[in-house]
Amino acid sequence: MKVTISTEWLSGCSGCHIALVDLHEKLLSLLEEAQIVRSPVLIDEKGYPHATVGIVEGAVRSEHDKHALLKMRESVDKLVAFGTCAVYGGPSGIGWLYSRDQVLDAAYEQGPTNAGGERPDAEAPALENSVRPIDEYVDVDLYLPGCPPHPFFVAAGLRKLADDSRPGLTHRSVCADCERKMEKRQGVQLRPAAVAGDDPDLCFLSQGIVCLGSVTLNRCMAPCPKIGVACTGCAGPAIDVLTDPQRDLRSELALRMEKLCGIPRSEIIAYLEKNANTFYAYAMSSPALYKKPTVELREWAGPSAVA
Amino acid sequence: MVTIRVDEKACVGCALCVDECPTDVFTFDEKKRLPVVEKPEMCFGCLSCSKICPADAIEHEGIKVSTNFYHDAYALNMAAKLGLAEELETGVTSEEADRKRAVDDLGIRLLSIASVLRQTLGNALPAVGRMAGTTLAAQLPRYQMPASFDEAIQVVRDSLNPAWIIGETTRSNESLKLKVEGCFVRDLCKKEGLELGGDLCILFGTYLLGYLGKVTKSRLRLMNTAQGWKECTYDLEVHT
Repeated sequence: MKVTISTEWLSGCSGCHIALVDLHEKLLSLLEEAQIVRSPVLIDEKGYPHATVGIVEGAVRSEHDKHALLKMRESVDKLVAFGTCAVYGGPSGIGWLYSRDQVLDAAYEQGPTNAGGERPDAEAPALENSVRPIDEYVDVDLYLPGCPPHPFFVAAGLRKLADDSRPGLTHRSVCADCERKMEKRQGVQLRPAAVAGDDPDLCFLSQGIVCLGSVTLNRCMAPCPKIGVACTGCAGPAIDVLTDPQRDLRSELALRMEKLCGIPRSEIIAYLEKNANTFYAYAMSSPALYKKPTVELREWAGPSAVA
Repeated sequence: MVTIRVDEKACVGCALCVDECPTDVFTFDEKKRLPVVEKPEMCFGCLSCSKICPADAIEHEGIKVSTNFYHDAYALNMAAKLGLAEELETGVTSEEADRKRAVDDLGIRLLSIASVLRQTLGNALPAVGRMAGTTLAAQLPRYQMPASFDEAIQVVRDSLNPAWIIGETTRSNESLKLKVEGCFVRDLCKKEGLELGGDLCILFGTYLLGYLGKVTKSRLRLMNTAQGWKECTYDLEVHT
C-alpha cells in the first residue's frame, strides 16, 4: 500500500513546511513512495482525509489550533511533531509566562504601536489559556525538533517511522557537526550579548561567548557556528539535559565553559538566568523543561510574569 | 569488560574527558586531536566523560547503569520517541515493579522524616504541611490557574492524581465536604502496619488543604476529619 501523508500547520511560521519542500530531489523519491493528500502550502484540501503519516507543525495557541490538531490525530495513523514549536512550544512559548489577558493587552491595546486598539473577537479564533506543545493534547509517534529540522534528519526520521529496522537518528549535540576548535584558555572575559567572535576557528565558549551548541540536540548540521554565529539552541535541549532532571541548560553550559575559558561558573549562571527569556526561548513552554526542579523561569523573567 | 567508543567524527577535541575521568582511562592524541581509550579496564562506569562531552560523543558498553527513580516520565517518553538509532543509557524502565520499588523506597524515608519533624516542631507540624502545599500550588503553570471554584477542584483532582484520588466533593455555602478515596500515605500505612492519622498523615493532610486553599483562592478551616481504610473525609469551612 502506498504511504499517504497529511500535513497541518498550527501556530508556527510555515518554515517547517518549507523545510519539507527543501528535501529537493529527496522529495521526488519520497513522492514515488508516498502520496501527499493534504498540505496547506501545496494542496487545496480543506478537509482531513485519512493518511498513514500526519505531520504537524507549530504549537497549540488558539482554539482553532486545538481543533485542527485533534482532527489530525483522528485522521492519521502515525503523528509526527515536526519542528521545535510542535515539540517544545517554540519561541511563542514565551506566552507561557504570561496570562492570556496580558498577551492580548500587549498585542492589541497597550502595545507601543497600537495605542487604544480593540481585541479581535469575531474575526480571529479565541486564544487557549496558554501556548502548549502538541503532545499535551494528543499522543505523538515521532518527535522531530529543529527550527526547521535539516532535510537530512527529516528524511532519516520519516524512514525510521515507516520502518523501525532502519537506522535512526543520532543523539549528538550541535558540537558534533561544528568545525570550531575547542581549546582551554585562561583569563577570558565573559562577553555578554556577543554572538560573533574574533577568531573564526575557535570555539565560542573558549572566547567567552555563550553558545548553546553543547546543550542543544543536533537536528541542524550546525549551520550557525559554521558561518560565525553562536548557537541559540533552536532544536531544544540535548538528550542529557532532557532526560536528567538535575541537569539543566545553564548548569551544563557553565560547567563546560568554566573549564574552557576560566570564567567562574557562578558568573555564567547569573548571566544566563538574567537573560533566561533568550536562552530558554525555544523550549520554555514544555513540561520537560519548566517542570525541572532547578528551572525557575517565572522568577527569572521578573515581576511582570510572576504577578 | 567495559568497551568505550568515541565517535571520532563527532568529537571536537576539547580533551575535557581526559581531565574529567577519575581513573585516567583516556590519554590525548595531540596530533589527531582525539582522545585515546588507553586503559578501559580502569573504567567503573561513572559516565563523567559522557556527561561532560559537549558533543555527547562517548558511549559505554558493558557497564551497569544504576537505576534512579527520579526521572520525569514525560521527558523519558519524549526521548524514546526522538527516533534515535540506539537506546539511551538512562538506567530507567517504566515498568510497574520499578515504580513500586521507588514508592517503597521513598515511603520509608518519608515516614522517618515525618516523625523527626514532629519531634522538632511539635504542634507546628500542620503549619509546615500547609505551607508546603501552598508553595507547590504557586508553581502551577499559569494556564492551569482556574477561574471558578468547581474548576479549581478539578485542577486539584487532576494534578494530585495518582498520589491522591479525590472522590466526591459536596459544597453548600460555606462548607465543603471532601472525600479522599486513594491516598499513597494510606497505602504506605497499610504496608507497614501503621495506624491511620499518624504524623505523615497529618503532614500530607494539611499539605492537601494548603494546596486546595491556594488553588481555590480561599481560606479553609478544618472542622472535622475522619480517617478510614476505604476513604477519608474532610469537613471544611470555606472563606473566599
